[in-house]
Amino acid sequence: MPSFNVVNYSLRPSKSIQRQLVFEGISKLKASLDFERQVYIGFGSIWFTDFVLAHRLLGIDDMISIEANEVGYHRAVFNAPYATVRVLHGLSNEVLPTLYSDGSICTRPWLVWLDYDYHFDETRKEDIISIIENSPPNSILLVTFNGGEMKYGKAPDRPARLRELFGAAVPDDLATNSCRDERMQQTLADFALDLIQSTASDLARPGGFIPAFRLIYQDNAPMVTVGGILPTKGAVTTAGGIVNNANWKCRPAKPIVAPPLTLRESAVLQSCLPSVERLSRDAVRALGFDLEEDQIETFQTYYRHCPTFVQILA
Amino acid sequence: MSVDGKNRAFAYPTKAFFVRMITRDINLEDCILDLIDNSVDSAWNQEGSCPMGLGDGANLSRYTIDIQLLPDQFVIRDNCGGMSLDNAVEHAFSFGRNATADRDDFSIGVYGIGMKRAVFKLGRKVKVRSTFTQSDGSRLAFVVPIEVDTWLQNDAPPWDFDIADDNPLEENGVEISVSELTPGSASSFNSPAFVQNLRRIIARDYSLHMQRGLKIRLNGNPVVGWAINLLQSDDFIPMRVEYTDELEGDTVGIEIIGGMAAPPPESIDPDEGDDGDRRFGWYVVCNGRIVLAADKSALTGWGTEDWPQWHYQYAGFIGIILFTAANAAALPLTTTKRSVDTSSEIYRRARPRMREVSKRWISYTNQRKQALDEARKRESAAVSVPLASIAQRPAVTLPVLVAKPAQKSANVNYSVPVSRMKKLAQEFGNINMPYRDVGLRAFEYTYQDLVGKD
Ligand SMILES: Nc1ncnc2c1ncn2[C@@H]1O[C@H](COP(=O)(O)OP(=O)(O)OP(=O)(O)O)[C@@H](O)[C@H]1O
Ligand SMILES: [Mg+2]
Repeated sequence: MPSFNVVNYSLRPSKSIQRQLVFEGISKLKASLDFERQVYIGFGSIWFTDFVLAHRLLGIDDMISIEANEVGYHRAVFNAPYATVRVLHGLSNEVLPTLYSDGSICTRPWLVWLDYDYHFDETRKEDIISIIENSPPNSILLVTFNGGEMKYGKAPDRPARLRELFGAAVPDDLATNSCRDERMQQTLADFALDLIQSTASDLARPGGFIPAFRLIYQDNAPMVTVGGILPTKGAVTTAGGIVNNANWKCRPAKPIVAPPLTLRESAVLQSCLPSVERLSRDAVRALGFDLEEDQIETFQTYYRHCPTFVQILA
Repeated sequence: MSVDGKNRAFAYPTKAFFVRMITRDINLEDCILDLIDNSVDSAWNQEGSCPMGLGDGANLSRYTIDIQLLPDQFVIRDNCGGMSLDNAVEHAFSFGRNATADRDDFSIGVYGIGMKRAVFKLGRKVKVRSTFTQSDGSRLAFVVPIEVDTWLQNDAPPWDFDIADDNPLEENGVEISVSELTPGSASSFNSPAFVQNLRRIIARDYSLHMQRGLKIRLNGNPVVGWAINLLQSDDFIPMRVEYTDELEGDTVGIEIIGGMAAPPPESIDPDEGDDGDRRFGWYVVCNGRIVLAADKSALTGWGTEDWPQWHYQYAGFIGIILFTAANAAALPLTTTKRSVDTSSEIYRRARPRMREVSKRWISYTNQRKQALDEARKRESAAVSVPLASIAQRPAVTLPVLVAKPAQKSANVNYSVPVSRMKKLAQEFGNINMPYRDVGLRAFEYTYQDLVGKD
């Protein structure tokens, strides 16, 4: 089942925080790099949440959404939020090649977000490599995929599977232990970045690839988002300076696992923030309710990015 | 008309020739190997420079070579004794070994170009540092800094580099650092795949040195050498012969070892991206350095004369031929040291012996198809033995199997999208299950369902 039938995209708090962080990161880059007439390319589904952010936060006009599902395509056309959104019908590996030669966009910097629900496999890999090979200078590539360990075979099979998927950069002695539990998503994120970096280097893209995004988040399945800049040669130093600065927020060490909160809960919590001290579980109990330790920590770290959901009973 | 006053043709080299031209004929990996070779030569020299066959017990465990590939810098550092000041002044930095240089050291260095070519390929700003013990027992340290662009500006002789005093390195040895990397090296050092591949090459080509204890580190992590072993039992006994040959007054020692390193594969077709046969084939070793590894090409005979092309069916075979010579010029080496010079007489004369053992293995793998169960049983009884402990024996011993009448079989071949194959493999319980096994399972499953028990 296409995932838009499962749940409203915007109702995933961790995903939403992650998306917010990424867009804030890009807008930071935008201040110093030439993203003139940037084009957004993504999978808008029928909700277009990322498209709305791209337009509002980054001021991007021209946007292309790729949709393979027949019904989904018609609903997407109907739901497209702006006049400048083009919905293209087909699988990404069919549609992307047509964009590389599309005269209206092929010389402008792209912001491509391949936000798959799917796990990383041979087909996703082809998409990613083709973007690295063909996207214009100063493009940004983001890829999100399912990092659930079971999608990559049983534990002992995983190192071999990852070798197959990520190629030469995977060490011959990758341990099964690195492919288990929450380490699996870290491992996947590292190899996906290595793959992009190696592909860009081997291809001698003049500016190479600058890794900038590495986020793991979880609403249902654990998801991995990686990406970075494919800069012009001249932009390498500037871009590297921004993403390697201590205040760059798009490579959090810990996974983002946000609690779904009621409006009342988040308002009360928020009234205690910002605070230099860690908000304790006792403090939350004192407010009259309760949350897990890591939920509190995530809230405190990301409360400015947390969405709140109100149930409308009509 | 006469050539009066114009009777000499100018034939002087230019610096650019060495910096821009000869660096094109070698790739970056091989340049780095050239620098490792120099460290190894130095360690070997410290140990007394004996022939690097398999029999001797030279121990290299005191020596470490540390290589760092950074986004903006390359560094290789060894504790292999260092380069003497006299050597630096007279030989080490000249282009090409001069005739008076010592040639009797069983080194892999032969042409006198490797280090210079490597640093020019790597970058524009070079520092060669050395610390060594002088004949009076005191330590001396010096540095040779090279600014390539400045050096290039003037072709007029004499060509030389400055030598300056330096702080001593922690241990006697050489440290070469290169910055202002060429675009090619910078982008390669940025590629995790390049770094991993370099690690793989080092692990393979220096495995014999690492078996003697040499340590090599790449970006802080030790490289683990390949274990090259053969299997042995009453049925399977590797061959091992040793002889010497002569080339223009130089003696070359030759050692050939070959036999079963692993049982042949279950299926005769390589599966998807299977690197199942990457360890097998012929290894050519010159003064200790593997110059050709797991070769399956015409270079080591496959597909030439009455010798078949390599086929996946032959996987499991390893043959090793080692050449040792006091004067490395007599070895069958190409200039990049990453292949064998097939025009070498020494090598051509060794080929028939290589063919003999290969052919016996080929015929064994054909024979075993008719008696698979018996073959597998015997193969599994063979145990791994280190190369050095294999006894001399002129020919390989392999079992003679009696064929069992087999049922006539049908071969099936069809293709499906990889993603569907992977999904089915996953459902069968192993996402990496060879395609062939998925096919068989699928057949059995349908057969049970539609036909039932035989
Ligand atoms: N790490 C080292 N330790 C000690 N001496 C070294 C080291 N690296 C280089 N040298 C000295 O510098 C010389 C020149 O090295 P170079 O690699 O240019 O030529 P070569 O090794 O003689 O021949 P080839 O071109 O075949 O490598 C060596 O012969 C050796 O004497
Ligand atoms: Mg050398």
